[in-house]
Amino acid sequence: MSADTFDIQAVSDPLEPRDSDVVVANERSEFVLEVTNFSVDYGVGDNMVRAVNDVTLHLRRSKVLGIAGESGSGKSTLVYAMTRLLRAPGVISAGDVILNVTNPDNETESTSVNLVTASEKELRKVRWSHVSIVLQSALSALNPVLRVGREFDEVLKTHRPDMSKVQRRSRAAELLAMVGLNEDRLVRFPHELSGGQRQRIMIALALALDPDLVIMDEPTTALDVVTQREIISELHHLRSRFGFAMIFITHDLSLLVELADEIVVMYAGEIVERAGARELYDAPRHPYTLGLLNSFPPLHGQRRELTGIPGSPPDLSDLPQGCNFYPRCPFRMARCEHEAPALTSIENADRGVACWLHSPDSPIAVPVELSRTANPARNSAPAERSRS
Amino acid sequence: MKNLRLPKSPKVLLGLGIVGFFILMTVIGPWLAPFNPSATNFAANLTPSAHHWLGTTSLGQDIFSQLLVGARATMVVALVAGLVATVLSVTVGVAAGYLGGFSDDGLSLLSNVFLAIPGLPLLIVIDSYLPVNSRSNSFVIGLIISLTGWAWGARVLRAQTMSLRNRDFVEAARIIGEKRRRIMFSEIAPNLLPVLASSFLFTVLYSIGAYVTLAYIGLTSTAVWNWGTMLYWAQANNAPLSNEWYWFVPPGICIALVGTGLALVNFGIDEFINPRLRAAGLTARQRRKLGLPRRVRLGFTPVLRPVRTPRVAAAPAKLAGQ
Amino acid sequence: MTDATLSPSVLSARHLTRHFTTRVPGRFLNAKRVVRAVDDVSLDLFEGRVTAVVGESGSGKSVLARMLARIVTPTSGELVLEGTPIPVRSKRTLDYAAMVQLVLQDPYASVNPVHRIRHALERPLLIHGANKSDVEEQAKTALARVSLEPPERFLDRYAHELSGGQLQRVSIARALCVKPDVLLADEPISMLDVSVRLGILNLLRGLCDSEHLAILYITHDIASARYIADETIVMYAGQIVERSHGTTLVDEPTHPYTQLLISSVPDPSDPTSQDPTKSEHATFAVADVGCRFAPRCPSAMDVCRVEDPPDFIVGEGHTSHCWLHASEPRAAVEMALPQRRREGEPTTT
Repeated sequence: MSADTFDIQAVSDPLEPRDSDVVVANERSEFVLEVTNFSVDYGVGDNMVRAVNDVTLHLRRSKVLGIAGESGSGKSTLVYAMTRLLRAPGVISAGDVILNVTNPDNETESTSVNLVTASEKELRKVRWSHVSIVLQSALSALNPVLRVGREFDEVLKTHRPDMSKVQRRSRAAELLAMVGLNEDRLVRFPHELSGGQRQRIMIALALALDPDLVIMDEPTTALDVVTQREIISELHHLRSRFGFAMIFITHDLSLLVELADEIVVMYAGEIVERAGARELYDAPRHPYTLGLLNSFPPLHGQRRELTGIPGSPPDLSDLPQGCNFYPRCPFRMARCEHEAPALTSIENADRGVACWLHSPDSPIAVPVELSRTANPARNSAPAERSRS
Repeated sequence: MKNLRLPKSPKVLLGLGIVGFFILMTVIGPWLAPFNPSATNFAANLTPSAHHWLGTTSLGQDIFSQLLVGARATMVVALVAGLVATVLSVTVGVAAGYLGGFSDDGLSLLSNVFLAIPGLPLLIVIDSYLPVNSRSNSFVIGLIISLTGWAWGARVLRAQTMSLRNRDFVEAARIIGEKRRRIMFSEIAPNLLPVLASSFLFTVLYSIGAYVTLAYIGLTSTAVWNWGTMLYWAQANNAPLSNEWYWFVPPGICIALVGTGLALVNFGIDEFINPRLRAAGLTARQRRKLGLPRRVRLGFTPVLRPVRTPRVAAAPAKLAGQ
Repeated sequence: MTDATLSPSVLSARHLTRHFTTRVPGRFLNAKRVVRAVDDVSLDLFEGRVTAVVGESGSGKSVLARMLARIVTPTSGELVLEGTPIPVRSKRTLDYAAMVQLVLQDPYASVNPVHRIRHALERPLLIHGANKSDVEEQAKTALARVSLEPPERFLDRYAHELSGGQLQRVSIARALCVKPDVLLADEPISMLDVSVRLGILNLLRGLCDSEHLAILYITHDIASARYIADETIVMYAGQIVERSHGTTLVDEPTHPYTQLLISSVPDPSDPTSQDPTKSEHATFAVADVGCRFAPRCPSAMDVCRVEDPPDFIVGEGHTSHCWLHASEPRAAVEMALPQRRREGEPTTT
């Protein structure tokens, strides 16, 4: 696929003012984020690698969307590209990302901004005040030579120029209190704080301007499980208080089941399954989701041998012809090798799965594990293997 | 060694071309030379002509032959010096970085001393103690030049080694019981190849300069032709004043070209040694062709848009079979 | 878990301690702080058994592994390898390397990127006396043992061509090349993709059973410890706070830290979720005097702040380092678990 078959016109030069797709809606849209047919590539032309392929998702206000996946799934690339923060050589090759931001003056109205076509000025306006992001490693995200208080000061100065220094200071203290930190943390440097404290500061910074949407990229992966629990609980409180929507990215599916309202599972740059959190856990429909759920050894119940998913994570530059999961799928059929299934709705409008097993003309019946309606007790399994 | 692929950057290719050309000249230069460079039987001070491409000197020697023959000594000395200096800097640098403690202190002291002593005066002093017949030996000159050129590389390699020392694969080598010497030179040193190569090229550059300077001052034997000696004779016969540019400009240009070539190659060193660093990035020309902005600014990920429906199938194609 | 006819421990640690002295910045001379990374840890590794050590970062588990591998020197304590005490100040010998091997956490950094996989496997073989002619065969056998098949395909690859899971298998194969009796694994799966982790855990379990290795499995993930452990140990701030046979302590945790750990793990199958207090826990606060966990402990009593508790026996093969169990008998001073003995031999303490 060379560049010559496309007539490319870049809509990317940020210095040229453009007519962006800004529409003032009269009534506040129910969705805070609408992503349609979004694709992201690394590189162009012959060496191009597609990292995100044709992703569509919608996030309702105040809801939590969890994105689960492993390496090569494209989950981080997706959200960085969505917010136009993706580094070179990433390019957005298709799709739209519409952010419906609540008008600060009138809460019943919202303005739509297409982040893909927005100008630099619009992006700056929207960034942080309406959509913010919490990165994976707070230590690399916070400036090591600045005291914490300075970070807050910068954010508030940039977006709320009318605030006085004293007001900024008190707002910073307020934000820290919100995440359970003492005001005296403001004078510290990032390296003087623990991982958990740093991550709380990142969250406080992200909420400084009361955004509509907060994106979190594996915020607790580097933390120990006790701190993780505290932070998640903190997030619950903050969400119920401020009502922001959240996108939470992680490889830890069990965490998402507790935290998210809806979960999207990604594999090799595509969404393979979409469902409500509890539904996904109790009744997965995609073989990859099933495999992933079975990759977490349980804390309770009979000990039995689990297998995880055989094989290795996909190589995006060398994907199979049909379904991406074909090489590792225990339920694969002949059709899967040549044709890639599309994400289709099953059961209800909010559930989707990309798998030929669930298509109406599938030659075999849906396997038992992928058609259950409730989670059986996880310990009804073959007898515990004997130990020497 | 990893598979080496030809670099695409025009800078690097140019550099490689230049260096390659001069290496060729080193090999076949004397064979190509039309006359014996020392032969004085031509008319003196001739300007460039078909018979003498670069004219003749005040003594009636053919300048072009001198240039071609002189390439060999200049390049050989530079390469020998570069090689010996690199070997020295690896040994000292890696040992200092890995062993730490007193060994590090001692070796660092040694390299700091050699760094601090001004190179050229040291060279002159050492050279003046050489027996006269050794001064015509390119290898000996190369060796003494390398003595003044290894210390900088040693410091750089020491720093790199210290950062590699704590890497897991080094610890793993220790765990399986690998001896220290093997860890240093079989596990750590190969990882230093980009720095080493760069250091080597810089040392060669330095060596050319040192050698030419020594020759220009007249401290090397005039029996061996090299570009520096040409400059020496040119200066001694007032060539610049008499506007005999064809005498001193060609060797000067050659020296400058070799230096430039080496510097250009250095730019691309990382690219051909480490295949993983080779771009998913695009060159400026490719960007322009695709209408992407020249500089991608952080925070403004570029967007590609098809203006009309492409001839290829609308759904983004799978990558297999491309 | 029977005692009869089982051999004594392959590798034992007795009161291993490791202190680091650091300078306290901003204070005058002689202001030194002692960090007790590992404090009085004793454990035994047995043939054919997996011992899991669970702890968060800062618990000292990695330092413990490195002391057992003898690449870090203990401040005090003793190691006993197959009945022979090893003086801790002595140099690590090639024989020790041949018996005790360590697999590290980061698979991408554990294999030298400039050499082929072949090199990584041939070096341990050659160092420990294999013939040059046999080396290729033995390397292939090692790869087959860790299920990297066909081995020929992997021998000539470079590290960057392999996935994390494959690289970790290579690390394990490399450790197996010396034919050790003890395999120490420091968080071998925490940097791998979720779907690949079970494969490595199953591999370790399989190797333990088939090759009769003694395996020490270090992790921060208690669920994975539960999956393969024959003995589970929980560490906090350099000390062992709870240990038990099998996974008893996961099902019935008795130490407040273990309880906190288990309740913090996301567990969708258990609808009751803990709601910790909102305020920041002073995670750094490890008490210098008394029980280390007291500042964070919801059940802390006065005695806890004053005196470090001993180990109390709370069940069969189950001890807890906590004053809450003061009414229970104390564990033997030498070690918490009864030493395995050969049939007919008297019990030693």
